[in-house]
Amino acid sequence: MAGLRKSYGDVHAVAGVDLTIAPGEVVALLGPNGAGKSTTVDMLLGLTRPDTGAVTVFGASPHDAVANGTIGAMLQGGALLDDATVGETIAMVASLHRSPMPVAEALGRSGIEDLANRRCNKLSGGQKQRVRFAVALVSDPDLLVLDEPTAAMDVQSRREFWKSMHGFTSTGRTVLFATHYLEEAENYADRVVLMRAGRIVADGSVAEVTSLVSGRVIRAAVPGATEAALAMLPGVTEVNVRTTRAEISTSDSDATLRALLATYPQAHDIEVTAMGLEGAFLSLTSEGADRS
Amino acid sequence: MSVTYLLLEARRAMRNGRFLIFSIAFPVLLFLLYVGIFAKGDKAVIGILMVNMTAFGALSAALFAGGRVALERSLGWQRQLRLTPLSGSGYLAAKGITGMLLALPSVILVPVVGAVVEGVSLDAAGWLRVTIGIWLAVIPFALIGLLIGQVGTPDSMQPIMSLTMMTMSMLGGIFIPIDGMPSWLLNIAHVLPSYWLGQVGRGAVTSELSVNLGQAVLVLAIWTAAVGLGVVRRYRRDSARV
Repeated sequence: MAGLRKSYGDVHAVAGVDLTIAPGEVVALLGPNGAGKSTTVDMLLGLTRPDTGAVTVFGASPHDAVANGTIGAMLQGGALLDDATVGETIAMVASLHRSPMPVAEALGRSGIEDLANRRCNKLSGGQKQRVRFAVALVSDPDLLVLDEPTAAMDVQSRREFWKSMHGFTSTGRTVLFATHYLEEAENYADRVVLMRAGRIVADGSVAEVTSLVSGRVIRAAVPGATEAALAMLPGVTEVNVRTTRAEISTSDSDATLRALLATYPQAHDIEVTAMGLEGAFLSLTSEGADRS
Repeated sequence: MSVTYLLLEARRAMRNGRFLIFSIAFPVLLFLLYVGIFAKGDKAVIGILMVNMTAFGALSAALFAGGRVALERSLGWQRQLRLTPLSGSGYLAAKGITGMLLALPSVILVPVVGAVVEGVSLDAAGWLRVTIGIWLAVIPFALIGLLIGQVGTPDSMQPIMSLTMMTMSMLGGIFIPIDGMPSWLLNIAHVLPSYWLGQVGRGAVTSELSVNLGQAVLVLAIWTAAVGLGVVRRYRRDSARV
């Protein structure tokens, strides 16, 4: 993807995205709502034409990649026909592709063999997601694109979903998934791409993205302390006090902690943690954040 | 285009109770009922009623198939299909052919009931006209259904379809046979494709008020071309917008 831009009226949904994904990579696309993830995915799939820029998928246009079955996609809230059974739906989609995987295999990989004869309107939210996964999978694609794949799933089905995903990626296939769940990006992606306001603000392994935001968080019960007072401590970047519990973000946790204990000897239950992907996510994608 | 896709479309329709009742059972029942009330043994009237009810069943089934496009659009099913090798023209062709497939039961059932139960007798060419002839003449209706499905929403589908169906069958000489129409109404009927659809079959059962088959075919062909163009243009606009 090179120089992608797409505007809807005055809204610049995607304002210059350059992204190259190597075969075999599992990439998580992260960002708050309205960051341009879905628009980027739509352009990758050829559903939306970029205003400027170009998308190439395995050397072909998105349209050709779709026609060849090299790209499979699971859309956010993708449609299923209420009056068709799961088996019929998958078999129909398979019949449209030139070299699909056997229908039984797609059902098996998605963990829905037992639902083959069920009508799509009799499925739970999590089951529907797995049917959509099977729809994306049945063309036996080299690149799988998933937009919020585990939305509407409970913890159990989410875990099962990622297990079947893992079965797919271990065969060397490329996956790009957009998600709200940072934990999923942390656990399953080789690479994390963070978007904000239509641009990529961070791109790298989970460790790399996390390290972009240096700093730690100190949590402690500090009786008698006010936000204003704590903000005066050395290294502090942000303070949150709820009742007596303070959450202090700092660029130099050692200095902050020494000063904290000197000023408030009664502080207790102290925890010092790295920011993690969530902290990086928040600090890199918040409205005021500068482009790094 | 894929046969599996067509079969799934047809199977889905067969699961739809409203479709089975209104487009398959209804025309047959209405035919028997009307013959009992109006025909009084007059073979010509029975023939006309048979043609009209065949046409009614076929056109309502063809319209119905297209109307389902509205639901599929709102669901995002078209978007889903755009992620398969099925092309836009393939999708539209499949929908049109589905409409034609769904029209088949009426085109077979009503004439069979006419022949077996009501004793209508025609020569081979006549039977061909009231079955295959009416079936082919329903092509513009499959397209009209598609166009309505592309323009409307699932909520508006019921009233729009009912209105279309009523206009076509009441004013086009299907429910009110043209024999009983005042001349001003007959003039209106000429504007509607359903009038010409009826004429395709009518010539086989009576020479009264019948027009030349070639003329009916020509008018229906013009309808097909015009509505077909509308469908293609609408689809292009629709898919460019997503």
